[in-house]
Amino acid sequence: MNGPLISKSLRDHRGVTFWWTVGISAFMALYLAVYGSIKESPEVYGPAMIAKFPGPLRDLMGGLADMTSGAGYLQTAVYQLFVPMLFIACATLLANRSLAGPEENGTLELVLTLPVDRRRLVLARLAALALGLLAVAAVTLLVAWGMSVVVDNGVAFGHILAGHLGVLLLGLFHGTVALAVGAATGRRLVASAVVGVWVVAGYMVVTVGRSWDAISWLKWVSPFHYYAEGRPLYEGVPVGDYLVLAGATVVLALTAVLAFDRRDVGV
Amino acid sequence: MTAVVQAEGLTKYYGSRRGLADLTMEIQPGEVFGYLGPNGAGKTTTIRLLLDVIRPTSGLVRVLGGSPREPAVRARIGYLPGDLVLESRDRALDYLRFLGRVRGGVPSSRIESLADRFDADLSVPMRKLSKGNRQKIGLIQAFMHEPEFVILDEPTMGLDPLVQHEFLALVREVRASGRTVLMSSHVLAEVESVSDRVGIVRGGRLVAVENVAALREKAVRRVELHFAAPVPRADFEGLPGVRDLRVEGAALACTIDGRPDALIKAAARHTVVHLVSAEPDLEEIFLTYYSDEEPPR
Repeated sequence: MNGPLISKSLRDHRGVTFWWTVGISAFMALYLAVYGSIKESPEVYGPAMIAKFPGPLRDLMGGLADMTSGAGYLQTAVYQLFVPMLFIACATLLANRSLAGPEENGTLELVLTLPVDRRRLVLARLAALALGLLAVAAVTLLVAWGMSVVVDNGVAFGHILAGHLGVLLLGLFHGTVALAVGAATGRRLVASAVVGVWVVAGYMVVTVGRSWDAISWLKWVSPFHYYAEGRPLYEGVPVGDYLVLAGATVVLALTAVLAFDRRDVGV
Repeated sequence: MTAVVQAEGLTKYYGSRRGLADLTMEIQPGEVFGYLGPNGAGKTTTIRLLLDVIRPTSGLVRVLGGSPREPAVRARIGYLPGDLVLESRDRALDYLRFLGRVRGGVPSSRIESLADRFDADLSVPMRKLSKGNRQKIGLIQAFMHEPEFVILDEPTMGLDPLVQHEFLALVREVRASGRTVLMSSHVLAEVESVSDRVGIVRGGRLVAVENVAALREKAVRRVELHFAAPVPRADFEGLPGVRDLRVEGAALACTIDGRPDALIKAAARHTVVHLVSAEPDLEEIFLTYYSDEEPPR
């Protein structure tokens, strides 16, 4: 019975996934295209220029230690902040359209009365969310790799794949946060707010907050720690870190299932 | 025979606000049950409890012999929500097919024949449908899998008279095939012609369950008689059930509680040229359950 539910959700998601794929691809292509000129004149974008940035801003952008190498530029311009944020936003949007949105606009009621167990309904919506995000990731991975070949930044496909896999996991994790909060509260606004706070706090902790002892321990609850700490663009897949992200996502998914199963819907 | 709906002390609070209090009732197989009450009385709360959209605060509810939490029980129910929302860009036909697939398959021929009956255009994107046309889609999906039990929350809202007529015919067919219907309404006139029994809910409490035929017996009828010649008032005074008697020359007007038998027999001693008897106004009886006062006379 899950087949029709998943394919219906994918149909409902197709507009969002298509346009976000286009948007993220355009963003990546644009930024990677610029790399050509940076490579040509490393002295302009070298340490001297980086030094002019205020410290906190450098921290915020992941240190900016290395803007002129292929991997360094790819990391800073694409995988440090912007693309993860775009994925998280896309995942949150899809998650909100999965349960909380239909509950708020009233379309969920009829679906709940179908002969489908509520737990299976949540899992089906989660599967559609994951598949939608996977589609965005697959296409944008090809764009990142293709543009890397075009501008010849020397980053191996395996490392781009490792970074992209991390972005997908980050998106999936935050999408599942939104789904779980939406499943528990039925409110899109609450779900978005929880994701927003967690994202901003989590990102700050691993960037500007990392040298601040009072809060640096919080990195253990920051999803970004498990994404960026292993430097996937340089080192390949940080297996342990990614497994933590994936495991946390599974726990959240179960939370979503249990929360939704015991609740009044639409009141 | 297992009751289709069996509720015992069914109670639902939304926080501290009462949605439904201590509902005990049974609906038997093959009956059409009209569920009446003003907006906010607890009709939709009851229906959502029957479908496990919301969970009771206390009390027990069984539908078709099982718990509505079981998907297998819900598979045997057809449901039209009171406020049906269809928002997608998809065509109505695609949505109906999707619902059919989740229900384990519904032949397209059945969808088409229902669409024909209701004169519904299934090729229009759902978000462009008018209220009435949305309601038609809702009715099609509630009936298309030939459920044993059909629950309809305010089914006639937004339907034009022709479609309403077709809908009532469909309800009668469902009953004739031994299946059960629960339909809510805030207007008695909409359900009285097909309902076997009506339950009246007010302020979260079921205040009465009445047989429609019995309700008609209780009805107050306005009767006018015109005779060939003036009649003496004395002939009609004190007849059982006759009230508000007015005799003016050859014309007589009164209201009747219950059976008109005594009046007819008294009138038969004179030459009757004209008789007018208004349909019993069930609405008026119905309203007496809302206002705690005596019905207006």
